[in-house]
Order: sequence, then C-alpha cells, then structure tokens
Amino acid sequence: MNIIFVAAVCGIMYFLGTSKIGYHFTTALGSPIVIGLVLGLIYNDVAQGLLIGATIQLVYLGVIATGGNVPADQALAATIAIPIALQTGLSAEVAVGLAVPFGVLGVFLDQIRRTTNSIWVHKADKFAEAADMKGIMKCAIIYPAIFGFCLRFFPVFLINLVGAEAVTFVMDILPTWVITGFSIAGGLLPALGFSIIIITIGRKELLPYFFIGFFAVAYLGINTMAAAVFGSCIAILSIFNARKNSKGATL
Amino acid sequence: MTTNAKITKLTKKDLRGAYNTWYLSTELSNSYERLQALAFCNALAKPLRKLYSDDDEYKDALKRQLQFYNSEGTFGCLIHGITLSMEEQKSNGEPIPGEVITGLKTGLMGPVAGIGDTIIWGTMKPIILALACTFAMQGNLLGAFIPFLFPLFGYLIGYACLNFGYKVGKESIMQVMKSGLINDIITGSSILGLFMMGALSSAYVKIETPLQFSINNADPVVLQNILDQILPGILPLCAIFGIYYYFTHKGQNYNKVIFSLIAISLGCAFLGILG
Repeated sequence: MNIIFVAAVCGIMYFLGTSKIGYHFTTALGSPIVIGLVLGLIYNDVAQGLLIGATIQLVYLGVIATGGNVPADQALAATIAIPIALQTGLSAEVAVGLAVPFGVLGVFLDQIRRTTNSIWVHKADKFAEAADMKGIMKCAIIYPAIFGFCLRFFPVFLINLVGAEAVTFVMDILPTWVITGFSIAGGLLPALGFSIIIITIGRKELLPYFFIGFFAVAYLGINTMAAAVFGSCIAILSIFNARKNSKGATL
Repeated sequence: MTTNAKITKLTKKDLRGAYNTWYLSTELSNSYERLQALAFCNALAKPLRKLYSDDDEYKDALKRQLQFYNSEGTFGCLIHGITLSMEEQKSNGEPIPGEVITGLKTGLMGPVAGIGDTIIWGTMKPIILALACTFAMQGNLLGAFIPFLFPLFGYLIGYACLNFGYKVGKESIMQVMKSGLINDIITGSSILGLFMMGALSSAYVKIETPLQFSINNADPVVLQNILDQILPGILPLCAIFGIYYYFTHKGQNYNKVIFSLIAISLGCAFLGILG
C-alpha cells in the first residue's frame, strides 16, 4: 500500500471532517465510521475499518460543541488511529487508546482556527463599509476554507507518513499489561460519551428512562433498533399522559 | 413616500438562497471574537441587497448583521427568518430602528440555542450515530451511510425553521416558545434520548473483572458471576455514574477525565483487577 497515498487521503478526510462546510454534514463526514469505511476500502478490509471506526465513534458520541467550543476532535482521532490500526493489525480497543490523545490534540487546532478567523471578521467589517457583498462572502467562506485546508491537511499527512512504523516499534517494546490496559480503556471510554449525554439532556426526573433502557438490554437482550422502537413509544405515551393530566388539572 | 413607494418582498427563492448559504458555512468562519456573526451576515447579504437598493442603507444593514451572534444553527434559523421579515418591513418604510432588530437577535439566540442543542445535538445526533455504530460493528456497510441521515434531517428542520420564522414573525415565536408544544417536544426527545443512551451503554460499555478466589480446593468463586447475579452491568453503571458525578460536582474538564480513565485502565490492567 502506497503510504503517501494513504496519508494524503487521511489529510483530505480530516479536512472534510472538520472543515465545517455544511453544518451537520461535516459531522457526518468526520464520523469515525465514515472514515473507517474509506480506509477499510483502501486497505481492502471494510469490516475491520467499520469496526474500528464504530469503536472510536462510541467514545465521541456525546461530544457537543456548546458555544462553538469543540471539546474533542473525533475526526483527528480517526484519521490517525484507523489507518495505523489497519496497517499494523491493532485490535479495535487498542486503536481507541491510540486515538484518544489525538482527539485531544485536535482541540488545539480548532482553537488556532477560531483565533485566526478573527482576521476575516475584521476584513468583513471593511467590506461591509464598502457595501461589497462578494468581499464578505470571501471572508465568510473562501479564506477560512483555504486556511482550514492548510491547518488540517498537513499535520495528518505528516503523522501518517511515519505513524505506522513508530507504532509498530512502540508496540514491540510495550509489556502486555499496557496493551491489556488500552483494551480496558476501549471498553470504558464509551461510558464518558454516555454520561455527557445524560448531563446534556439534564433532566434528573427523567433518569428512570435511562435505567429502563439499560436493563431492557441487560436482562432482555433487545437490540438497538428494538430499543429505538420501544423508546419512541414510551416517549410518545409519556407526553400524551402528561398533556391529559395538565388538562385535567386546569378544568 | 408611503403610497407610491414600491414594496419589495422577498421570494421563496431568496429565503432558500439565504438558507443554503447559511447551511454551507455556519461554523466555517466562527471566530472567538464574534462567533457566527460573519456567517449570519454573509447568509443575509444577498436578500438584504434586494431590500435595500440604497447603498448607505445597505451598509447599515450589513453592519447590523455583523454584530456578535451565536446560536444553534438549526433552530437558530428561526432568528434568520424573523430578521429577514423585520428587515423587509424596515426597508418598506416601517419605522423599525436597527437596534430593535439587533436586540431581538441577541434576545432570542440564547433560548433558541438551548432548544437546538438539546434536540439536535443532544438527542438526534447521538441516536443516529449510535444506530450507525450498531450496524458498523457487525461489519454492515449501512453503518457508514446512516450518519448522513443527520445532515438530511438537520437540513430540512433548519429550512422549515427559517420559513416559519419569516412567516409568523417575532410575537408568534415568543408564543410558541412559551406554549407547551416546545416543552413537550423537548421532554419527548429527552425521554427517547435517555432510554436510548441506557440501552446503548448497556450494550457498549464493557467492563469485566477476571478476579476469582479459591478457598481450599473448592470451586473458585468468580467475582464477575456474582456481580452479574446481583445486577447485570453493575460495573458499567458505576463507571457511567462515576463520571456523571465528577462532571456535575467536580468540574467540566473533559480531557482530564479522558486521561484519568486511561490511567485507571492501565492501573487496573497492571494489578489484574479488570481485564
């Protein structure tokens, strides 16, 4: 496999996944699952690519950029850990351990982006003064996109050029308990994503619904689609009942 | 000037154009200084040009939209709609001061962001991505396409919000926001969200202990089996609510938690407590 080609694809995927071109669209493009599919196709192992991608995705399920502050960068985690894992044969859980530090690094890149974006807003002030619609468009779209490409493409490209070799080297000298530790972390870290969602939803009085879902799977072993069906019905029933009660109270 | 002045109305096409520009670049130019202001101004630049043929009025309108703005981008489109309808009235001679439009934007962006963050990013996004994870983990290609349902729904909801905001204007929006409907939607999606997160965390948070004790020559006592008999999934639940407790009581440092979890995992692996 041509490593330069892989590194370039990863760089482009990272740019697309964080470019913010298309509001929700960039979230889908930057999903580790989608990145896992693309890299799985390149390495001719789609199932493994999807598996690693999904395992990484779980960690970042609950991440919300409130006020525009991105707390973790799933696309950077994925565009570095997935190609390396596919190349060196790391398990999905260990790949998560490798992915997480990069997910943190990505936050700094985003801070650089939003700091430099102040330049364009000042430029736009001047264009507004001149009633120049095209100029404002350039400041809002073209300039940040070009800068974003340079900021996102090159780090991922360079890390991927040397990444697999470095990881193979490190994995060879690591004691086995460290590898075990990383796979424990792979099973534990999704807990972080789920607890953040619970906090975001922030309705303590509704927490029993969480436990119903949890034990429906733990005891009855229903799958995710079944959970979605039952969950929707329960949600609709609760709203109807609440409405009925509030109407009864006002009468 | 009231009787013979030409009334300029925005068409559906103008609204769609503004929405598409907004959708394309919502967060692209997000800066620490004014957040989404530049994207907001850019999205409205074209319809505003149509409304204000006079250059000076147009400049004022542009500068007005370049002021600090930040909300959730989907439900936030209600504000775009209201702004456009107010600018339309203003350009047709209604005495609406610019400050009123700015004030309205600033007043609405917080509450609307709260609604959007809960419904779009707190519930819809994790549910769609979690469904995608389920398929992807089985090696099913569908898993890589399900994430695109998120932009599909998001795009349509945002467009509906912009049109709604434009049509009904400020007063009705306030009424809708105060009415029970929005609350019901939030409660419903919170219930569904919590139920799904419970189900998914049960399926995907995997913590098991290999510890076992053997007394004399009896069968070894496997700790995990005992835990499963007490309450299946007790360790994952402890982990989830341990982290929950940390975030609600100790602090919001995401990175600290993520590194602590790795350190704990390594420690437990070294001691053989988990595995």
